[in-house]
Amino acid sequence: MHTFLAALFSGTSRGAIYALVALGLVIVWRGAGIVNFAQMGQAMFSTYIASTLITQGYSYWVGFTVAIIAGALLGAIIDILVMRPLSNKKQTELLSSDSMRAAVPVIASLGILGVLQALAGIIWAAEERGFPAPAKQEGFSVAGNVMPFTSFDLFVISLVLFTLVITTLFFRKTGVGLAMRATALNQEVAKLSGIRTNRTRTLSWAISGAASSLAGLLITPTSNLSPNTLDLVLIVGFISAVVGGLDSPAGAVLGGLILGMVISFVTFFDTPEDVFISILVVLLLVLILRPRGILGRKDARRV
Amino acid sequence: MPAVLKIENLVTRFGSVVALDGVSLAAQESKITTVIGANGAGKSTLLRTISGLERPASGSITWQGQSIVGLRPEDIVRMGIAHVPEGHAVISELSVEENISMGSLFRRRKFKSDVAQAIDEMYQLFPRLQERRKQMAGTLSGGERQMLAISRALVSRPQLLLLDEPSLGLAPLVVEQIIDSVNILCRSTGLTVLLVEQNANTALGVADHGVLLALGKVVADRPAAELKADANLRAAYLGY
Amino acid sequence: MRDVSDLKAHSIARKSFFRTILFVIAVLIAGSFFDAYNQAQLAVVLVLFIGVLSVTLLTGISGQLSLGQGALMAVGGYANALLMINYKLSLWVAIPLSIIAASLAGLLLGIAAARLSGPYLAGTTLVIALAIPSLANRFISVFKGDEGLPVDVGYPPAWLTSAVGELSYEKWQLYVALPFAALALFFASNILLSRTGRMWRSIRDNEIATSLNGINFSRQKIFVFVVSAAFAGLSGALYGLRGLVGPSVYPVSLSLTLLTAAVLGGIRNISGAFIGTVIVVFLPDWIDAVMGNFHLSEQVTNFLPPLISSLLLILVVVINPAGVAGIRLHKGK
Repeated sequence: MHTFLAALFSGTSRGAIYALVALGLVIVWRGAGIVNFAQMGQAMFSTYIASTLITQGYSYWVGFTVAIIAGALLGAIIDILVMRPLSNKKQTELLSSDSMRAAVPVIASLGILGVLQALAGIIWAAEERGFPAPAKQEGFSVAGNVMPFTSFDLFVISLVLFTLVITTLFFRKTGVGLAMRATALNQEVAKLSGIRTNRTRTLSWAISGAASSLAGLLITPTSNLSPNTLDLVLIVGFISAVVGGLDSPAGAVLGGLILGMVISFVTFFDTPEDVFISILVVLLLVLILRPRGILGRKDARRV
Repeated sequence: MPAVLKIENLVTRFGSVVALDGVSLAAQESKITTVIGANGAGKSTLLRTISGLERPASGSITWQGQSIVGLRPEDIVRMGIAHVPEGHAVISELSVEENISMGSLFRRRKFKSDVAQAIDEMYQLFPRLQERRKQMAGTLSGGERQMLAISRALVSRPQLLLLDEPSLGLAPLVVEQIIDSVNILCRSTGLTVLLVEQNANTALGVADHGVLLALGKVVADRPAAELKADANLRAAYLGY
Repeated sequence: MRDVSDLKAHSIARKSFFRTILFVIAVLIAGSFFDAYNQAQLAVVLVLFIGVLSVTLLTGISGQLSLGQGALMAVGGYANALLMINYKLSLWVAIPLSIIAASLAGLLLGIAAARLSGPYLAGTTLVIALAIPSLANRFISVFKGDEGLPVDVGYPPAWLTSAVGELSYEKWQLYVALPFAALALFFASNILLSRTGRMWRSIRDNEIATSLNGINFSRQKIFVFVVSAAFAGLSGALYGLRGLVGPSVYPVSLSLTLLTAAVLGGIRNISGAFIGTVIVVFLPDWIDAVMGNFHLSEQVTNFLPPLISSLLLILVVVINPAGVAGIRLHKGK
């Protein structure tokens, strides 16, 4: 019973982090029509910046805030330097096919990931370093027993829920959110409506960058920080987004939770080596049975 | 009546294809000017070049005394030109409300109170849209979608409306309705309209001035009534 | 009609044959001028070239982006190693069998992925690419986990050494890789020039039109996966013969390396695949040659090659997606 609860709680807090990553992916997808594979590279990079500040004596929260701002800036820079040139007319004329047009931003984002990882290696070397947590890592005490649930977990979950609410409200109720969705769905009509599509897209990238930095900051205490730490987190985050529906923020959270639970239970009740295969099974199941994701709405471009 | 839109020797190319081959025309203020011609004559390209979606190779476009060649579409909208492109002019995955709102977003800061009023006026003009406010635009009928597209453009209170083949794929009765509404709007608010149409009859029936385009060149540029009466021209270029 | 298509097939085969012969001659000449180190590098180029061809066929020609080619290489590598070690088969027998194994894996991959496209396809193949190495850790008794399985190309047979004299290890590596690379080149060239190639291109360029033409779309897509997996498996088997088959030999980044090579050289044709492979393999050496004069810390030198190749990848994709070999043909196909 205790193991079950432990698995449950671990799954929830893990799931919350995957949900954050998935949210970041959903934001870029909804705001820019691209899946950003470099996302965790951005997170890793900003977390390194935070780590550097903290080791130099600044408080955790200073590092935290700077990292999130750095993440937003990094996202904006990526859009301006790479994604904007990619989406201009000449490009679309050079590539005659739809599938190549979809593949090119993916390849570009993989390139960006490579650059970020290499840069991190050059600046900070590839040794793993630890990273502090802002809250205690011990479990709560309830009725004399120690629960497998720490105040840090609580912090993570509430932060994710908060982000989810803000994101959904932002997209549905604000003008900027509408502009972002319009830009991603049909750039031409958006332009003809007077929407500054370039600026809007950059904003999506900045917001997504901030969200992924947040995810990076939250997951790093439980593992160690190195240029490749977050690769797996990105994969699981991507799958969470696909499972929940690439165009749905709520789906991202749901997907994150599902995957968090799956991984947690497989780790606790089976063996950690089966994690990848179980993730793969979940992904394939969703892609076969419900390709647009559990909460996905429109006929997303899968074929 | 002064000409608010002046186009001179406009050339637009797609690779080696010349879509506009030295087009010159003018649109008079508060009048409906229609551009007619067969398929492939370059009519849509003309509108797209004016609204900034395409860049001309050479030539000039002057709006209210200012040159707009090379400006971005979103900036041209802000100068008072609204373009309703043919075909997919609405975003199916957004609701009717959102589609209309979209057109007014850039005005929210300066003209906050007017925005709400403008949106209301659209619903008055096309009551069918009011009924379907919350529906996804993709679920609307063809005629309703066209009304929605026009509303999206009009809600930005333009001085020039570029309307591209509003009759495409629509039943004659619906087309009549839509063109009538646009006509009324033009006469009552002084809106300048540049109407591209393949259905020359309908267009010439409501326009003040007509320009006949063939293979990217202007073949005739006359008052609409004259064009309509010219049977030879019609037979040669429009097939009836 | 039958005569015409036979004729076409003949002339295609002849063209491919000539290309292959030229290729073999060029490699042999280069090999004789290289020192031992560069001969070994050249062998690696030949081996990876086959893997990059798998990307060219799958992504460049049929337009399906897969990030799992490295995993298919691993399948080929492991199959080969197991056959050679457990069943004592010679590499000339084991390799064809490994190709079959990899093709089967490709079949499974294709069935799973045929309905996907774009980022969904990329992400799924990436996950599969991760899942396969974890299998190695799961069944440690068979796959020997991180330790891996040691295999190598062995020694040249007596008849060869008596014919051409003593061969260095590097030269032998080259001579083992060459026939396979030549075969791969021949088949790839054949496919590209044939009707099959045209069909694959139409999948990439216009999905709707292709399916309307009555061509069984999904089946062709899966077929491309199988063929591309065969190439990847061959490459993986040869790659493992450098000394070790293990998870460290086929990391996730291997798929990215193949993709980078394909894009840098020009993703749409064979010469592009070769150019890209040369760039990717020799880049660290070139960087060393240039930067050797500056005294850089190990930190920097370790990460400089991946930094530069990633930057190049971005530049190529942004400026001209058709890559180096495709520079002149951006108006055509």
